[in-house]
Amino acid sequence: MPAFDLVAPGTSDEAIAELRASDPGEVAVVAGGTDLLFDLDDGRITPRKVVSLRRLPWRTLDWNGPTLTVGSTLPLRELENDPELRRRIPGLYAAVRAVGSVALRHQATLGGNLGRSAPASDLVPMLLALDAEVDLVGPKGERRLSVDRFVIGSRRTALAAGELIRSVRIPEARPSAYLLQRVRPFHDISHMAVAVAFSPTDARWRVAVAGFPPRPLRFPEAEEALGGSTPGAADIARAAEALATRAPIVADKRASEEYRRQLVRPLLARAIAATRIGDR
Amino acid sequence: MSASARPDAPAKLSGSVVYGTDLDVPGMFWGALVPAPVARGRLRRIDLGPARALPGVVAISAADVAALVDGRAGDAERPPFPPEQITYLHQPIAAVAAPSPGLARAAARAVRVEVDGLPAVTDLEELFPEWPERAIDDPDHLAAHVRAGRGDVEAVFRTAESVVRETYRTASVHQVALEPHACVADVTDGLWHVRTSTQSPFGAREDASSILGIPESSLVVEGAWVGGGFGGKGAAFLEPYALLLARAAGRPVRLALGYEDEFRLGRTTLPAVLRMETAVTDGEIVGRRVRLLLDVGTSLPGRDFATGYAIGFLLGPYRTPTFEVEGYAVRTNKPPFGPHRAPFAPQAAFVVESHLEEVARRIGADPVAFKARHLWKEGDRTPLGQPVLPFGLPSALEGARATAERWRREAPSGHGVGVAVGFWSTSTGAGGEARVELTPAELRIIQGEREIGSGSVVVGIARVAARRTGLPFERIRVEYRDSARAPFDSGVFGSRTVGALGRATDEAITALLRSLGERLGAPGPAELGIVDGQIYAIHGRTRRSIAELWTPAEEAQGAMAAEGKHYGKGGAIDESLVRDGQFYAFTDFTGAAHVAEVEVDRETGSVRLVRYAAFHDAGVVIDPASARAQVEGGIAMGIGTALTEEAIWADDGRLTNAGLVDYRIPTLPEIPPIEVHFVEGFAGAGPFGAKGLGEPPIIPVPAAVASAVRDAVGAHVTELPLTPERVARELKLL
Repeated sequence: MPAFDLVAPGTSDEAIAELRASDPGEVAVVAGGTDLLFDLDDGRITPRKVVSLRRLPWRTLDWNGPTLTVGSTLPLRELENDPELRRRIPGLYAAVRAVGSVALRHQATLGGNLGRSAPASDLVPMLLALDAEVDLVGPKGERRLSVDRFVIGSRRTALAAGELIRSVRIPEARPSAYLLQRVRPFHDISHMAVAVAFSPTDARWRVAVAGFPPRPLRFPEAEEALGGSTPGAADIARAAEALATRAPIVADKRASEEYRRQLVRPLLARAIAATRIGDR
Repeated sequence: MSASARPDAPAKLSGSVVYGTDLDVPGMFWGALVPAPVARGRLRRIDLGPARALPGVVAISAADVAALVDGRAGDAERPPFPPEQITYLHQPIAAVAAPSPGLARAAARAVRVEVDGLPAVTDLEELFPEWPERAIDDPDHLAAHVRAGRGDVEAVFRTAESVVRETYRTASVHQVALEPHACVADVTDGLWHVRTSTQSPFGAREDASSILGIPESSLVVEGAWVGGGFGGKGAAFLEPYALLLARAAGRPVRLALGYEDEFRLGRTTLPAVLRMETAVTDGEIVGRRVRLLLDVGTSLPGRDFATGYAIGFLLGPYRTPTFEVEGYAVRTNKPPFGPHRAPFAPQAAFVVESHLEEVARRIGADPVAFKARHLWKEGDRTPLGQPVLPFGLPSALEGARATAERWRREAPSGHGVGVAVGFWSTSTGAGGEARVELTPAELRIIQGEREIGSGSVVVGIARVAARRTGLPFERIRVEYRDSARAPFDSGVFGSRTVGALGRATDEAITALLRSLGERLGAPGPAELGIVDGQIYAIHGRTRRSIAELWTPAEEAQGAMAAEGKHYGKGGAIDESLVRDGQFYAFTDFTGAAHVAEVEVDRETGSVRLVRYAAFHDAGVVIDPASARAQVEGGIAMGIGTALTEEAIWADDGRLTNAGLVDYRIPTLPEIPPIEVHFVEGFAGAGPFGAKGLGEPPIIPVPAAVASAVRDAVGAHVTELPLTPERVARELKLL
């Protein structure tokens, strides 16, 4: 690994200044580093400077009524251990627990997972189903984007030069579930995953699928098929059929397209069944 | 067993143990290999100039080897660097050494290589689409051909009541030792020295000296603590490159593989295709025909043990009156085939057991009863005519059958219980020697092996010594010497360490005890005991301290010494049955029957191990705690072979999953509770009747898991590993 300068600014202004002081191709940002370090080690990226976010005051978790705001550098293990999360957003709890291993989650962060934007991210599909938003800070100030608009493709985001993810905002706690399929059930990359959430505000379902390139995505046709709070077996079957036949699912080295299309049916049905809606 | 009974535990737990990858010598350079850029092609030109232009960098290629070994000629069949033809991607074609690891990597990248690439050959079935209907006669790709048989198979198949024919496929699996290959070499005053992570210091010495053409007496191999071997560290691998670089650099050179290169260069089990045919009449097997197409990658000439070895397992431990077995070893553009814990035996057991289960089901027989009826018993002859020695597999299978019946009664819907057997021969034909030294305070075993993790050296041979002498285990110390100073030993492989090195130790101790008996004036060998903290020789009521018994010369040496050796006598096969190639005889008959309970997801194909039981004939168990751990570890490893492990090559010869992300070994949550049982009363050739236990625990695992999957959901999967997608296909989900 070629040598680089490691800086750890204490304020967001300093961090942004550090980013602006370098050519965008020569600077990398590290939060937990669980993904970035592979690229550094393999020489896939060769930055001259690495800006660490570890000293920024972003290691936070706040519930404000139904809204959850998670600082971008909060280790996933701390999010997982929040006493409210499992009860209020069970799908996000399951998605966080699906990431790597306990040891890795002590290091990995929500902001890092979004910023690195892997097609098989276990967190992005759940954030999509929760209508989550990212709060960004950059040279031109602050802005808020939906996760759907933030994630552009495989390893591609809407993050502008000099911009950082400060936090992730989940507007409301939702009954939700996250189910995945892997070759090995633990410590593996999901090759098919389904995230579902039910919004108590508009009484509609959100359905996102992931595990294949280029990126996790919502699938509105399945959401519409599910209808209101208590979809019947026929509704679920229609939604699953829509996903299995019309979602833009493709093959890669981890699974064939036909296997993924088959998997999405039981995963959706089980996810809906696992979602406990209060008054149902 | 108390914690102190594992003498290497404190250093391993505290991290102070020095593994091969920890070796760090003052002033050493860092080595790196220059990889071939294509899987197949002709090397037109290597320009080391740009690498040599970097500060301090030493670079060598095939053209430099002769001068570095002073004009001596190494084995022409196994040059360290290919002179012209590249046969696998990342094949080392040059090597560099530099003052820092970063510079070494940069230097390796700086070497300019010009090649004429050719299309790679990677797929057996694409290469020979008409096999097995057509025999293979292709000298370019045929590395070995083995064939044996008895009786008129054609006639038996024509007249049999029923014939079952199936095709199976098995995957390439890697050893995945936690520690990659690593060594540090130095050449000073004509003495070649390498410290290395090896399962066989003497084997590495023989190999490296043959490859380089230097006399064995000029080469010293010193073992480092080994972070797992599983067969992958048996022969010389990095050592010749490190030695050449050290010679060129005039200073020590460290060479170690990164984990991706462990996969890319690894010598391991490669894919195979098998055609199985069985003829049955009146519920009895009357004929078998087994045909094997085995990928041996870049086969190493003269070292094609693979096919004859693999095919020896393919009739299973079953009586078979009329049979024909035929195997082809096929060269492809992959790294060389090499031993992976029980080379090809787990794959063979998967195929044989699954196939015979299919045969039994087709004739309406209970698979376990059908197998039990055909199993070898002591006194039977193997298909190749060797008499079967004491063999506990029938008892083990009886234990497994009873457990499986109970579990099946208890199993909920979606669960299944499977039973399978595997067998193995302890490689004690590969000999060993040991020296023991007795002082008033301790008994030292002086020998040449490093512990590779199983405990066979630090615990196994020490337990043999404790048991023979009567001394407490804590009074036995196993000492290691390098290849110049240790008694010869063949290596830690083939379930042989306790059997052969343990027997050599036992012989040395027996000689010592006999000598002590004579000194006591007793009619037979003495025993040892502790009196007031000192070791005494004891016979009946006579007891004398060692200090009273040793000669002035021994006192001056500080110890009484004795030597022992053991070169096991293998059995013999009936050579008249062999029509082509080499087949191997057994020295011992070990075996195991396993029971797996699984839960299968009918909608996704996922398989979860629920619980597992193993019944092993290990002869007389020398150290119960180590034996149990060895069985558990083998099962854990076998679960990987069964369910997830598969090295996948693309058409261009690239390994698509070189790394631990997509080459999936089991992790702790995948390992179910494991019951371990030993069936007693079947003595082997090892000390006190021990048999080996290195390989047997992994052998039945893929077969037992596949049998359980079939029991659970009816999916008869004929290809390893049983990934969820393969099971889903068999469930007709896609």
